[in-house]
Amino acid sequence: MSKTRETQLTTYLVENQARFYRLAYSYLNNREEALDAVQTAVCKALEKQDSLKDADAVRTWFYRILVNVCTDLLRQRKRVTLVPPEALETGSYEDPLPEAGSLARRVDALPPEIAAVIRLRFYEELSLQEISAVVNCPLSTVKTRLYTGLKKLRIQLEGEL
Amino acid sequence: MNDFKHAKEEYEATPIPAELEDRVRAGIRQGKANLARRAWSRRLGTVAACFVVMVGVLNLSPTVAAAAADVPVLGSLFQVLTVRSFTDTTPDRTLEVEQPAIQGGGAFAQQVNEEIQKRVDAKTAEGEQMVAEYKEAFLATGGTQEEWEQHNIAVSVTYQIESQTESTVSFLVESNVSFANAYWERTYYNLDLAAGKELTLADVLGEDWVTICNDSIKAQMAGAEDSSVYFAAEQGGFSTVDETTQFYVNEAGDPVVVFPPYTVAPGAVGYVEFTVGR
Repeated sequence: MSKTRETQLTTYLVENQARFYRLAYSYLNNREEALDAVQTAVCKALEKQDSLKDADAVRTWFYRILVNVCTDLLRQRKRVTLVPPEALETGSYEDPLPEAGSLARRVDALPPEIAAVIRLRFYEELSLQEISAVVNCPLSTVKTRLYTGLKKLRIQLEGEL
Repeated sequence: MNDFKHAKEEYEATPIPAELEDRVRAGIRQGKANLARRAWSRRLGTVAACFVVMVGVLNLSPTVAAAAADVPVLGSLFQVLTVRSFTDTTPDRTLEVEQPAIQGGGAFAQQVNEEIQKRVDAKTAEGEQMVAEYKEAFLATGGTQEEWEQHNIAVSVTYQIESQTESTVSFLVESNVSFANAYWERTYYNLDLAAGKELTLADVLGEDWVTICNDSIKAQMAGAEDSSVYFAAEQGGFSTVDETTQFYVNEAGDPVVVFPPYTVAPGAVGYVEFTVGR
């Protein structure tokens, strides 16, 4: 890859860092892990820059890397021995979660693969086509997840009325 | 979808840590370095393969051997060559090995070759085992074989020559497993083939090597663009060099002291090098 492409890539990465962090944080809900995920994904992007065929597709391409890193971290987490919760209750390092009961909170409570689709669609405003490339699933699966998600959210909303 | 407008605002209100920018830049640096490293070992592999062919020819034909004796580089006491180079790909992982050895140079070189052989074998076996354990854990926690294969896990043991003169050579053997940066390991070899011994910092810098190194490193740390990246001495950072400190000799003949990740600076910085002028 030429130097200019590399420069374009690094500029894109630096300019959009806040978006990446937010997305990673929505997956991991942990400040340190989200920072790690962003750094790892950025590193991988630079390493694999040759696989980016079309410079216009950089957003989808990078989100895919980031989402994969986050999913890997979540999977690794399952393997880690858990500390009993009472040992953790002495204050929290977490940044405040969105207002309890709000829609954003409810999205977080959805199964992770469904929440991911909802976030990418409504927060990051990706098209369904792009989402299917990011999460590496057929378009039909993305649609199903989106509608399942919306349905669940609505049911929960109605349940409260 | 008006509800989502509010949800989006909440989402966008996620506080952004101040160190994010640094982490992104560290990722960029790391990625660029890894990319360069890979390109380098590929080129080195080609060069090494040419050498292997040439050595074959030298052995077969006395005429070519006589002609080669006049070529300056090949005329020196010894050569560093790739003696074993292979890539082995299974669905589970890719194994890449470039094993160097010294040709010529007598019994001492032989001893070094044996040590390299042992190290390469040990590192390859260790890497394979790590991959096997990781895979088992991956599958046990709900990953599928197909997902595993998408990871393109690689174990590599390669080398790089830092500098070479008529009678001395500096090179490093590097092992890596693609999913665990902590496994990234470098071993430097600095050899004086004429004297049949390992070069030490004292050989290169003289009796006062400890003071010379320490002064130079401390000055470089203090003069760095951002000296706070280095751990302070009381935080367990750099205090002094000793016999176990790794180094190599660069093309200019100056020693370059190398600290592994996490020893003098955060792991994200990777291997940290300081050139000590003679």
